[in-house]
Amino acid sequence: MTGTQMRPAERNLGSGDTHPQAPILEVKNLVLNYEVKEGMVSAVEDVSFALPKGRSLGLVGESGCGKTSVALTLMRLTANNARVLGGEVILDGVNLLELDKEQMRLRRWADISMVFQGAMNSWNPVYTVGVQIREAMDIHWDPKPSASEARAKTEELFNLVGIDPEMIDRYPHEFSGGMKQRAVIAMALSCDPKVIIADEPTTALDVIVQEQILEELKKIQRDLGMSIVYISHDIAVIAEITDLMGVMYAGKLVEFGPTADIFARPRHPYTWLILSSTPSITGPRRQLAPLEGEPPNLLDPPTGCRFHPRCPFVIEICRTDEPTLTEIEPGHTIACWNYTQVPVTLSRGDE
Amino acid sequence: MLKFIGKRLIQMTFLFFLFLSLVFFLLQAQPGDITAQFLDPTIPAENRAIIAERLGLDGSVWTQWWNYVTNFITGNLGVSFQQYPRSVIDVIAERIPRTLFLFTFATLFAYVLGFSLGKRLAWRRGGFSEHSVTISGVLLYTVFYPWFAIIMILIFSSGLGWFPINGFLTPELWRNAPFTGNEVFNQLLLSLGIAAVIFSGTMWFARRQDERSTARLVRWVGYGSALGLFVLFWLTKAEMRPFALNIVHHAILPIVTLSLIAFAGTMLLTRGAMLETLKEDYILTAQAKGVPEKDIRDKHAARNALLPVVTSFVLGLAFIIGGGVVTETVFSWPGMGSLLLTATVAEDVPVATGALAFIGILALLAHLLVDILYAVLDPRIRIQDAS
Amino acid sequence: MVIKEPDSVDVLSPEDPDALVHAEEELGESLWKVRLRLAWKAFKKNWALFMENKIGLLGLVIIVLFGLLALAYPVLRAVGPWQDDGIYDPVIGYDAPVQEFQIVATEAEVTDPTTQKDANTAQLWCFGAVPGDVCEIPLQPAPPSQGHILGTDPLGRDVATQLSFSTRSAFMLGLIAAVVTVGVATVVGSISAFYGGWVDNSLMRLADLVLLLPLIPILIVLSGLWAINLPLLGVLIGILSGFGGTAIVLKSQALSIKVKPFIDAARVSGGSNTHLILKHIIPNVLPLSFLFMMFTVTEAVSLEATLSFFGLLNVDMSWGIMLNTAQSQGYLRTGFEFWWLLIPAGLAVTLLAAGFFFVGRAMDEVINPRLRAR
Repeated sequence: MTGTQMRPAERNLGSGDTHPQAPILEVKNLVLNYEVKEGMVSAVEDVSFALPKGRSLGLVGESGCGKTSVALTLMRLTANNARVLGGEVILDGVNLLELDKEQMRLRRWADISMVFQGAMNSWNPVYTVGVQIREAMDIHWDPKPSASEARAKTEELFNLVGIDPEMIDRYPHEFSGGMKQRAVIAMALSCDPKVIIADEPTTALDVIVQEQILEELKKIQRDLGMSIVYISHDIAVIAEITDLMGVMYAGKLVEFGPTADIFARPRHPYTWLILSSTPSITGPRRQLAPLEGEPPNLLDPPTGCRFHPRCPFVIEICRTDEPTLTEIEPGHTIACWNYTQVPVTLSRGDE
Repeated sequence: MLKFIGKRLIQMTFLFFLFLSLVFFLLQAQPGDITAQFLDPTIPAENRAIIAERLGLDGSVWTQWWNYVTNFITGNLGVSFQQYPRSVIDVIAERIPRTLFLFTFATLFAYVLGFSLGKRLAWRRGGFSEHSVTISGVLLYTVFYPWFAIIMILIFSSGLGWFPINGFLTPELWRNAPFTGNEVFNQLLLSLGIAAVIFSGTMWFARRQDERSTARLVRWVGYGSALGLFVLFWLTKAEMRPFALNIVHHAILPIVTLSLIAFAGTMLLTRGAMLETLKEDYILTAQAKGVPEKDIRDKHAARNALLPVVTSFVLGLAFIIGGGVVTETVFSWPGMGSLLLTATVAEDVPVATGALAFIGILALLAHLLVDILYAVLDPRIRIQDAS
Repeated sequence: MVIKEPDSVDVLSPEDPDALVHAEEELGESLWKVRLRLAWKAFKKNWALFMENKIGLLGLVIIVLFGLLALAYPVLRAVGPWQDDGIYDPVIGYDAPVQEFQIVATEAEVTDPTTQKDANTAQLWCFGAVPGDVCEIPLQPAPPSQGHILGTDPLGRDVATQLSFSTRSAFMLGLIAAVVTVGVATVVGSISAFYGGWVDNSLMRLADLVLLLPLIPILIVLSGLWAINLPLLGVLIGILSGFGGTAIVLKSQALSIKVKPFIDAARVSGGSNTHLILKHIIPNVLPLSFLFMMFTVTEAVSLEATLSFFGLLNVDMSWGIMLNTAQSQGYLRTGFEFWWLLIPAGLAVTLLAAGFFFVGRAMDEVINPRLRAR
């Protein structure tokens, strides 16, 4: 996707549209660590965001920044060594982190479903796609669907995502990569969830198929009024399909706000740098700013702002005190001490 | 599918001829000459030449090889030295069903036990139970089989008296029996065969049912009719029943012993395969779908872990056949294995090599069966070959 | 044998000798020193991983204990309590401890059969014994006593010496079989992977066949045709198991090395095929070979015992022979009364085989990271 489309898609949710709406999904002060032999890895630190009903939200960041950990926490599917040390995940008024295992199991897919990264391997190779979709329906539908009901629903979903319904009885290896991913989307919709999480939904697909899948997801969100959380390292993808976005760095949410606003004027130095380091075809020509250094070791995160070792606008306080998320415009929050120094335009040397 | 089986059959035939030639050259390579071994060393050379000619030992190695192979195909394996003048093929034909009986049941039990324990081990990794099951599994796997079989006899036959000490039947009971052991045994195999065919047929039919409730009904009809027919079969043969029971009673302990030494290999393999399967993305998908833990283990992870386990059957096969030879010998179960050993000890070369060749055929056929099973289990192979 | 085909095995040995040459130039250190240091580092890392594995550790302890048992024979025969050849030779020694019996008149009067015998039966040993006499009857097999800590066998030989003596030959057999297996498998696997084509095809079909064949029946027939002694058995097992599964696994390992860039680099810089195989492929396949050595020892120990038990081998003394002697004299079918004839030898075979198997499994987890804990 990188390099094809940089501007957020024009849509009715403009930068000024911030009127309050009850969030369907709310994450409050989430803290997650991984226990490893060497100590505790601080993977997610004090992350909060809210997703209004019928909207889409994107989390973007480098790999290892904690975005997938957030996604898995929403599903309560984190690895065995993950410890949720605090926070709430409120889905439609229910804190998912307080449910017991069995209650959570019944809510998965029925309330919150997921489109995984790597569609290739999301399908069990020994069952037909139809059987695997029906499995989800058998668990969550009440009463269980009959064979014909399940088939009718699957056909409807296949039509929706653009797969020939004849393919229901085929095995995953007979699907192409794009078709598998479409089928995964169909499966995610099979129990009419309130929220869908799409974790790198287009990674590992070729560019044209990526575009088709994103269009498909956009259409589903629009037509079904679905609320979707996107997780991606590809800022172009986020730009194209989300209403709101959050930028994560080293386990922390550093900037959050309407996608259009952030793309129009990134306020956090990290966001500014990643946008500056991405070339744009349609925008004005500009020099690309490099993002130097490596992401920090989360076993022992830097003091103060976690971005300070790589930040070009670093000041003294950044090294000692942690910035908190502050609202600088309605609905647009950042965590930075020195954001006023971040240039209005993207690159450092405009021509 | 048919093309796949056909291809496999051709490969197996080729392997079989390779094996048969190997057996022949083993015979050729033995020190000395068969005539020197069995004939009076003082007979004149011309007489010896006549005998050698009559025995087909006069031609070159290649003609002898050709004769051996063609004779084998026509079922002419020579005459037993020990049970003269019975033909080797006759001796072997009597033994094969008995070995198949022991082998099939032991393999079945070993695989079912090994697979279900292995998947549980992988599922609950770590902890005391895993270590203790693994250690006892390996001990059973490496146990000195003849010794283990003797201990089983000492405990369950001489000690507790639950089973006969050894043999195929109790001679006192059969002294005035109206049937021979083979007749009864063949009826037993027949009834089991019928039950197995009905069972697998209905299971296959049940798999093709879309509606869960219908599938369940068909499955129960399958269990019921297989069992029912088996029972009915033996109800109509009232006077043969006690004799059949006597044979079954003799078979239990050897089957249990062989299963015990063979299951651990499957268990360890299943564990390894499961551990890998559990890292796959589709397991995470299943968890996200809210599939209950037990179903994730059985329907998703174990079902995929079954594939490498079935492939490795080829390795387990050699192991279980070896174990079978020992088990048969220690329990005096008159099958191919004990035939092989007694013939070897008695220097009954035609029978020994014939038995070895047939054990090879048995191994190859089992291999073929596994290949077919694998194709049935793995849609990737099944479909690929159909197109 | 439990064999898993590794798709990609993380070989923890110095992988690229050419890199070592560069290291030599840079550091001014001789090549073998660098190599040794790298090997030592890899060994330390693997050793730490191995020590974490409790089952592997258990196996190692078992093997060490058997090593001590094997050492006990020459030491105790030379300087210890087993010096008397006439009594303690494991094959030709003879000592039947005696048991005193009181002679009573008739069988009905015997109240304790371990200390009393009727005059009639006693005539077999003590000619002319009359009721009231005390008669010494040689006892064989004799239960454990001070002189014979594990008792004597039906021929009056010391079971403990036999056990210790046989441990040595079990190790020797295992070593021969393991070395031959790995030698054959490494060569076959490397050649097959390296040359491909018809060489690969024919070698692998042969490997398929060998893999399919049950070893025990073949060895039974072979031992009927030839007199097989321990070293020959070791070689036979080595060839048969080396040509089968081990060769196939090592071949896939060699294949994964063949496609590594340093092979191309070496080829471009003019390395001959033999040089490539010897210098690059074989050293990288070796770590996996060690793993199979462990499994081969397990197999060899069990096979030898089984064949000896059936009396098919040309061997004077081994654990299998010990059981064979007890069995052929009818002491094994009567129950656990003569447990010292049944338990030590059988347990020794089982434990030594298990010890090597445990170590093999632990090594497998060290070499194949995918088997490690999640």
